[in-house]
Amino acid sequence: MQIYLPIAEISLNLYLLLSLGLGVGFLSGMFGVGGGFLMTPILIFLGVPPAVAVSTQANQIVASSVSGALAHWRRRSLDVKMGLVLIAGGVFGSVSGVQLFSILQAMGQIDLVISLCYVGFLGVIGGLMFVESAGAIRRRYSKTPRPKKKRRKRGVIDALPFKTRFPVSGLYMSVIPPLAIGFLVGALAALMGVGGGFVMVPAMIYVLRMPTNVVIGTSLFQILFVTALTTVLQAAQNQTVDVMLAGLLIVGGVIGAQIGARVGAKVRAEELRAALALMVLLVCGKLAWDLGATPQDLFVLMDTREAS
Amino acid sequence: MIARIFTGPSALTALVACCLALAAPAQAGSQTAAQAEAPVPAQEGGGPPVARISAALTQDVVEIRSNFSGAELTLFGAAAGLEDGDDIVMIVRGPQRDMRVMRKRRVLGIWINAAPVRFEAVPSFYAVASTRPLDEFATFSALRRNSMGMEHLRLSAPETERTETRFGVTDMRVSDLGADIIDYRAAVVRNKERQDLYAEAPGGVEIIDNGLFSARLFLPPVTPTGVYDAEVYLFRDGAPIARWTDTLEVVKAGAERAIYDLAHQHPLVYGVLAVIMAVLAGWIAAAFGRRQ
Repeated sequence: MQIYLPIAEISLNLYLLLSLGLGVGFLSGMFGVGGGFLMTPILIFLGVPPAVAVSTQANQIVASSVSGALAHWRRRSLDVKMGLVLIAGGVFGSVSGVQLFSILQAMGQIDLVISLCYVGFLGVIGGLMFVESAGAIRRRYSKTPRPKKKRRKRGVIDALPFKTRFPVSGLYMSVIPPLAIGFLVGALAALMGVGGGFVMVPAMIYVLRMPTNVVIGTSLFQILFVTALTTVLQAAQNQTVDVMLAGLLIVGGVIGAQIGARVGAKVRAEELRAALALMVLLVCGKLAWDLGATPQDLFVLMDTREAS
Repeated sequence: MIARIFTGPSALTALVACCLALAAPAQAGSQTAAQAEAPVPAQEGGGPPVARISAALTQDVVEIRSNFSGAELTLFGAAAGLEDGDDIVMIVRGPQRDMRVMRKRRVLGIWINAAPVRFEAVPSFYAVASTRPLDEFATFSALRRNSMGMEHLRLSAPETERTETRFGVTDMRVSDLGADIIDYRAAVVRNKERQDLYAEAPGGVEIIDNGLFSARLFLPPVTPTGVYDAEVYLFRDGAPIARWTDTLEVVKAGAERAIYDLAHQHPLVYGVLAVIMAVLAGWIAAAFGRRQ
């Protein structure tokens, strides 16, 4: 059954959208990833205009991060102060990202920039994830002990001014690094329609040196607020949020996430993570191929949007 | 009185024509109803008209609802004074929009959009159907004047044009792009055709009998909203001798309309509602998941 999406202005199959939400929701529940980095490119492959795909995806991530953020809030496994600093950075990032989005759209280059960002990030994330999970699988069979990591000095970061105490994380550090990380993640949310957890979580662990038990909760807390803000800004400035599409993806997504979380607790993680990594690399490869392959038509038509 | 001529001279068409002629009384009965609904036809030129056309589309308003996946309309019409060798053309034009056309260029191995050209007042939809291929019965100037057919469609990029005197001819319009403008124009038509937004159907107008004719109009799923102009011309000796016009409206309706209107008229409210919906959905799912 085809359903007409009022903002994307195309018809897509209703069941396809629901199962897409279910599938990506399942993966996100299982791995604790947002799923935006898979959903947005898939929507673009299906013919949803990239601008609408990105903005609508931000709306969907609000829904998928609520349940996780609530759970961590109840368990108090999040650093609210750190979260607020990250959100402050995220607000600036999101506002700048939405502006940049409008400018690129007016220049006719938004599709290119979205694709390039995806190829870059998916390539790096997928590659790292694959190497890491392959290593874990190999170690399990060869029974070699996990290599110990040396704790290095954070020379530059310790030298920065505006230091403050983050009691929950047990840190005393400058607010500049978390602000910068928040900014980057906010800009990514606006430009790529992703929550940005895949950038923020490693950054919190390796750059900020936050204790791992509060990392996930705090990042979800930040993602929830930043994607909510991004949704409102994209809707207000670019009118590119399609609630019909978002609603369908959310229905599939929240159900899929519940199932995924349950299944994820029972199965062996490394193989699945390797499979996810391969999937990410596949999407990345497809996007990269499309960038370089000779297009079917050398000319593109665009509606000129009146500046508002 | 089988007053009709088919240009496709096959035995099959002749057979179909005979069958249609036999069924004419019933057909005529249904057509008079359509004709009665049709507005007063516009007449060209002074003096007593040689011929006149009435027509009606099966729908005046096409609604885009959540199950919209394109629409097919039929135009029924009657041409009074239709003679052998006359031809009929139907043109439907969608609302005009400005468009930007960019040419892809390879830079460092990837294709990027470059060299934009802005076209003004491009019809967002353009369908032309006729009894025969246009250039077989209409003169070049008649086609050009009425912008009839893909080659005569008015597509102007005013920012790239200037007027100058060439070979002693004043006010010649010259494109700064030179011959490239032809590629750009062709690209507009080609891209629109790929989305079924532009269509040319020689043979798409079928003369049933007795000056009665019909034509089909297909609106694809990506049909833009707005007011469309439908025109029917009767051609004789290379020029139009009668013309009929009407409008067709494509509107979003129901939930699609409510969502679209809210998104464009109160974008901030829309954005906040979208977030509230998402938060509620996530919260309900979490509450439900916890209880299990």
